[in-house]
Amino acid sequence: MLINAEKVKRNKAIDKAARMFFLAMALLSSSFIVILVLFIFMKGISPFLPNYQYGTVNLIDFLFGMTYRQDQKLYGVGFIVINTLISSFAALLISLPISVLTALFIVKIAPKQLSGLMQAVVELLASIPSIVYGVFAAGVLTDFVKWLASLFNVTTAGGSSLLAVILLLAIMIFPTITSMAITAIGAVDRDLEHASLALGATETQTNFKVVLISAKSGIFAGAILGLGRAFGEATAVSMVAGNKLYGPTFSLFDITKTLTSTMLAGLKETTGLDYDIRFSVGIVLLVVIFGSNWLLNLVKQKVGNM
Amino acid sequence: MREKMKAKMQAKDTFNNALTYISAGLGVLILGSILVFVLSKGLKGLNFDLIKSNYWSENYLATVEESYQTNELNDEHSSAQGYYSTKWGIAIDDTLSAKGEKQLEVTYVSPNSPFAHLLNATAGENFEKPLKMHTGYTIEKIDYMTADGTIGLAGKILAQDAKTTIETLDKASTITSVYFKSAGGGIRGSLIATFYLIVISLTISLPIGIASAIYLKEYAGPTKINSLIRQGIETLTGVPSIVYGLMGITVLFPVTQLVGATTTSILLGGLTMAVILLPTIIRSTEEALLVVPKSLRDASLSLGATQSQTIFKVVLPCCINGILTGVLLGIGRVIGESAALIYTMGTFINDNPTILSQGTSLALMIWSFMSGENPNFELASTISIIILAIVLVLNIIVKLIGKRFAKQFV
Repeated sequence: MLINAEKVKRNKAIDKAARMFFLAMALLSSSFIVILVLFIFMKGISPFLPNYQYGTVNLIDFLFGMTYRQDQKLYGVGFIVINTLISSFAALLISLPISVLTALFIVKIAPKQLSGLMQAVVELLASIPSIVYGVFAAGVLTDFVKWLASLFNVTTAGGSSLLAVILLLAIMIFPTITSMAITAIGAVDRDLEHASLALGATETQTNFKVVLISAKSGIFAGAILGLGRAFGEATAVSMVAGNKLYGPTFSLFDITKTLTSTMLAGLKETTGLDYDIRFSVGIVLLVVIFGSNWLLNLVKQKVGNM
Repeated sequence: MREKMKAKMQAKDTFNNALTYISAGLGVLILGSILVFVLSKGLKGLNFDLIKSNYWSENYLATVEESYQTNELNDEHSSAQGYYSTKWGIAIDDTLSAKGEKQLEVTYVSPNSPFAHLLNATAGENFEKPLKMHTGYTIEKIDYMTADGTIGLAGKILAQDAKTTIETLDKASTITSVYFKSAGGGIRGSLIATFYLIVISLTISLPIGIASAIYLKEYAGPTKINSLIRQGIETLTGVPSIVYGLMGITVLFPVTQLVGATTTSILLGGLTMAVILLPTIIRSTEEALLVVPKSLRDASLSLGATQSQTIFKVVLPCCINGILTGVLLGIGRVIGESAALIYTMGTFINDNPTILSQGTSLALMIWSFMSGENPNFELASTISIIILAIVLVLNIIVKLIGKRFAKQFV
């Protein structure tokens, strides 16, 4: 068969074009994050600029203000940031031990069939959309909070409360942390375990003192991921958070307001200060997420080296 | 002494093990209570009518056909709930609407009832066309006349409950006009919108995602730019979906304006979802590319095929399972997504959505009536069941594909 020079040339050209196409698509995919941050930032800072058409907002008042009332044009997100941090870290505090123990159960302790079943349970929980968690929280968790509040003789706003948000978030980040912990625990070197067992430690002691400690870096990564999810969770949280106008909220049975619920509350018009300020809140949310992510990764490196 | 220590150690081990069992049990408890909650609240609302019918009810004004006007039915047959008028052959019950408002719902209409033989009284092309009261319809207002010629009103308009409405009706001798509404609370429009959303987002996300994955796995060397590209894509996964909503409205809304969108629209929601799906599609394609043995590529290249030919004709066909996994995961994500779509699609439930109109996906529909004054848990749970069922099926298929795929190159 003869080599068709024309065809070879064409194929080469196609090859080059394909390569350029793939590169262009990859560049497009990765540029979305830049575009996203840039555009939200541009819209989000507009209310603080001097020539803003709906009346400039003071940046300091916005960042450190402790009241957020549309009707009085008071937009302070200081307490909302604190609320968000409180609810997310409290949720992590509840969820982390339960997730790690569940992961340990699945990987090391449970009999094989039970382990498979439990893994399926975790995967199912992970695949439930947040709106369904929201319906569940609004229907069940609020009732639980109401019942609990009646034990302490406290009244709640129909169960919408900080506690409901914390419990909801704890439930929602449970599968995230658990699946990360499963990977981390599964990756622990068998030799380490054998060494521990050979030294006379029982299997349970090995699991708790050797396996968990060796997997701490991966577990920590799971915690960071879970925290990120807790910060950014919007619809479900909005359904049980209530709409507190000032704060911060420290009482478990009081209503609260998180960054995400602020962005969703009373969303009607698509122009005006009340709408634009949501982009500013969005920037704060991004800063909280990526800031805490970065900080915790620093901590993780410290912990990992210990 | 040693025995004592051993016993103590054993007790501690048992305690620690018990802790893990309790933790796992909590996980099961949570899943169980979610399922029990949505099933107990929503299962009875789950029927075929729900899928077929509109969310918004239609209003009808009707008169009764002359020949059926004054007959005394004395029809005793009705096992339906609520209060039954033997005179008029209709049963009414007090129920709550999808929006949580009180309504008078028709639970039974006798075939000989005047209410089964109505004439449309609204001017227009359907004027004087026959109408029939169906179960599930709600009665707003009934104008009647008693035997001595007094005119009266009955129904929801007087804030009557079902019992008084029936009692009032029994006093009437002719029915002048009936104002009623068809049954609403259906999800047809939202189902269509969800379908549009899936199609739009995947059509855009798939080519971009697959091409990006190919570049990253097949072409990209370990250069700085390539690692930046990778990092950019990975950062996308950490962005919460509500922020994607903000991006959609600022970045992508002008794009939809080019094709004629004036408000937030399903198209905008689809474009936004396409960006959200990118990392998922890229990752599952990459994982599939990773499994394709290098020997296959080498064989193709040594036969004289160019790299792009190798990719399109050898590598990609081997990855079809991985891409399918990405598609299924993507569909699941689109069905479940709510926060990003609140900003980009609006929360107006639209019974006849088009690509450039506002509309709600199933998840958004739940949000739309759960964030109102009277949250409707029944309908929300019913839709939740549908969403959960779809997501569950998708996950099972993904699992099966994964199992088959694992064996492919062994």
